[in-house]
Amino acid sequence: MNKYSVINTHVHNVDGIAKVTGRAVYTFDVKLPGMLYGKILRSPHPHAKIVSIDCGKAMEFPGVVGVVTGKDTLGVKQGIWRRYQDLCDEQILPIDKVRYIGEPVAAVAALTEEIAEQALDLIDVHYEVLPSVYEPLDAIKKEAPEIHEGFERNMNVTRHIEWGDVEAAFEEADYIREDWFKCGGQAHMCMETRAAVSSYTPEGKLTVYHSTQSPYYTQGLLAGVLGLKEGHIRVISPYVGGGFGGKFELDGAVFCSAVLSMKLCRPVKIVFTREEDFIATKRRTPMSYYVRTGVKKDGTFCAREAKVFTNGGAYTGMGATALYLTGFFHSFPYRWKGYRYDGYRVYTNTLPSSSMRGFGAPQAMFCSEQQIEWIAADLGLDPIEMRRKNAHYEGYEVPGQATIASCGIDQCFDEIQKWIKEKGPLPSNRSIGISACGFMSGGIFNWFDSPYAFSSAVVTINYDGTVELHVGAQDIGQGSNTTMAIICAEALGVKVEDIKVHSGDTDHCPADLGAWGSRQTLMAGNAVKMAAEDAKKQLLEFAYAQSGSNIIYDLDIKERRVHSIARPERGSDYFDLVKKVLRGKEGQRIVGRGYYTPHRKGMISPAYSYMLQGVEVEIDRETGKIRLIDSLTAHDCGQPINHLGLIGQLEGAFSMAAGYGYLEYMPYEDGKLMNPNLVDYKVIRATEMPKVPVAEIDTYEPAGPYGAKEAGEGLTNPTAAAIGNAIFHAFGVQMKECPIRPEMIVNALKEKKAKEKKGN
Amino acid sequence: MSEPVTCPVCGKKAKTGSAIDCARHMFGTGDKVHRAWVEAQGLSFIDLLIEQATTPGNKSYIVLAEVIEKAQDKSRP
Repeated sequence: MNKYSVINTHVHNVDGIAKVTGRAVYTFDVKLPGMLYGKILRSPHPHAKIVSIDCGKAMEFPGVVGVVTGKDTLGVKQGIWRRYQDLCDEQILPIDKVRYIGEPVAAVAALTEEIAEQALDLIDVHYEVLPSVYEPLDAIKKEAPEIHEGFERNMNVTRHIEWGDVEAAFEEADYIREDWFKCGGQAHMCMETRAAVSSYTPEGKLTVYHSTQSPYYTQGLLAGVLGLKEGHIRVISPYVGGGFGGKFELDGAVFCSAVLSMKLCRPVKIVFTREEDFIATKRRTPMSYYVRTGVKKDGTFCAREAKVFTNGGAYTGMGATALYLTGFFHSFPYRWKGYRYDGYRVYTNTLPSSSMRGFGAPQAMFCSEQQIEWIAADLGLDPIEMRRKNAHYEGYEVPGQATIASCGIDQCFDEIQKWIKEKGPLPSNRSIGISACGFMSGGIFNWFDSPYAFSSAVVTINYDGTVELHVGAQDIGQGSNTTMAIICAEALGVKVEDIKVHSGDTDHCPADLGAWGSRQTLMAGNAVKMAAEDAKKQLLEFAYAQSGSNIIYDLDIKERRVHSIARPERGSDYFDLVKKVLRGKEGQRIVGRGYYTPHRKGMISPAYSYMLQGVEVEIDRETGKIRLIDSLTAHDCGQPINHLGLIGQLEGAFSMAAGYGYLEYMPYEDGKLMNPNLVDYKVIRATEMPKVPVAEIDTYEPAGPYGAKEAGEGLTNPTAAAIGNAIFHAFGVQMKECPIRPEMIVNALKEKKAKEKKGN
Repeated sequence: MSEPVTCPVCGKKAKTGSAIDCARHMFGTGDKVHRAWVEAQGLSFIDLLIEQATTPGNKSYIVLAEVIEKAQDKSRP
């Protein structure tokens, strides 16, 4: 029986009706009086000096109102790692040099989008083309061109993780295996492309509508590059059509629209085309992984060493965090006596890479979970039991990094084993692959150097008992507003329909780091719970004074009823109580406040989720084509809060993860992306999606609100490896590059056949 | 018991106080002053980094740790 009134019940999204009826206003839909439309001129070169820019002809073009270049900006190099200025390396409109194809060079504001587009052709840019480099292993060579001054051999960031005596642990191993892997990039592929409307007024105030994962980050970053006070910038972001890690930095749309608006004192709107979203934003970080693993004959894991080069592209973005997290999660969800990770992020003349759903872990798991499967096969061990034997457990300490307070991975193994057993024998062209992983529930990092609490919430109770919940947490389509409403309703003892959530507006909502790293349910959820409990306490203090109970904690509110805990049948109406309290407080509304910042939670996160992904795959031996037939997700996400939201999140994560595993390929030639459109870049479609049933493993996470932790990002991590493992079981071939493309399977089968022939 | 090794540049005591941890700290920090100290010992910071990146094992850290230990010995009265 559910011990909660609202939590984990079927609650539809609080903004669902507004969305399906088209009432929801996205940045794309915003229209302001006198608004102009902006377009951005982009570099055709991967690496070049900007010698001169002549905007004269463009300015004369009828309908053009203004043009800006880097010279119209303060020239500030910005980045989200504000605490480490070396990593703030990007001028969104560069003054003297471009470093990738698609980088903004100038922006035009005109009466219509079409006029702005035509005017771009009239801007004359004189470039001096420089030598370019596209791959990290080429970029670290002595003769490689320098992309950023002061970064010798283009080495952008290094990260090192180590525990135990790694060499001694390798000595203990009976079997050592080493492999090289290559993982590609991936486009964030948000339904809503990057978009912004900026409106600067002569009073010196800037209002920005922005499709962002963090209005607070947009506000802070814009203040830095525009020379304005944070308080003079209002960022409004009511509805966002997806983010997936790609929308919490400044983008060309918001920066260029703001610069144009400040110059012209008129609102300017810029919406990226799908092609611009591909070539001129950021992407999942491509990585080359070397993995050496030592194991005992009985399958006990001894030591692991990983060396990783990431293709950082032209700028740092969030890449430094992805570099650390890939190394950390590469050890998950297992116990290693000795573990060493060396990560190197290298600048290249390609699209910058950054964070994307999974934050470096999908690449880590593609390599780790396949190699583990191959090791089990080499040693003749059951791959599930070998994983189980070495897995994390409740109370385990990842040396010097994290303490695992809740862990349901053992039950995940049980569920997957049961699923495989129930399937029975499969046709010869089908096989099953599995993969395990763990993920964080928000990061403890404050690279942004925010002085505020990581999450904050304010609960205000009106005279009629309705509740205004102000949060800085950002709903980007993942259902955060609904989750916050559920937590608030549960904590306050009212119903979800009593709560009105206000989010996505820096003028009216408290600062919050926003939607990234699976942080909101845990961090913002804790802040909301605290705020609601604060408000409830104020109500109950009044009720206690009236009732004559022994102590205040004898009272509670549940389902809009104020009652004695010991005698629930004795109670009164919540709405009546609110009215009396407001009258008693001379008409002041009840206001509760809550905030959350993680303390003493290790190096990474306050909590970790665990999961196993099973996939049944059909492979055409002749063409190498993969078809997903079925799947099972076994997921420990602590106490689920929003049941429908959880299912939606896991289905979405699976589709994105499967796309990364076998479809979403980003080929570059001389620094140019060859498939920047939805015809040639394949994402998984509805007809290609298998069923995605979920086995919920409910644990209790002490750090989370009501015991909740991550769900929806972590599942992006295991699927590519599960697909690879299915192919391995079908044909005995090892897929070391991701995404796994049909030609790779066909070639691997040919090679295998040739080897067998030679052997015979 | 030997004294914990501290960074010859910023004085920070690395996690375990060992010379190898101090070497990791120097690579991890990697700013101009730490690089300059390594170069002043007759080593190339970037070459050590590339060596560490491209070969299995811990060779570069060990090389730098030895240099740090020697420097620490010299600085003791």
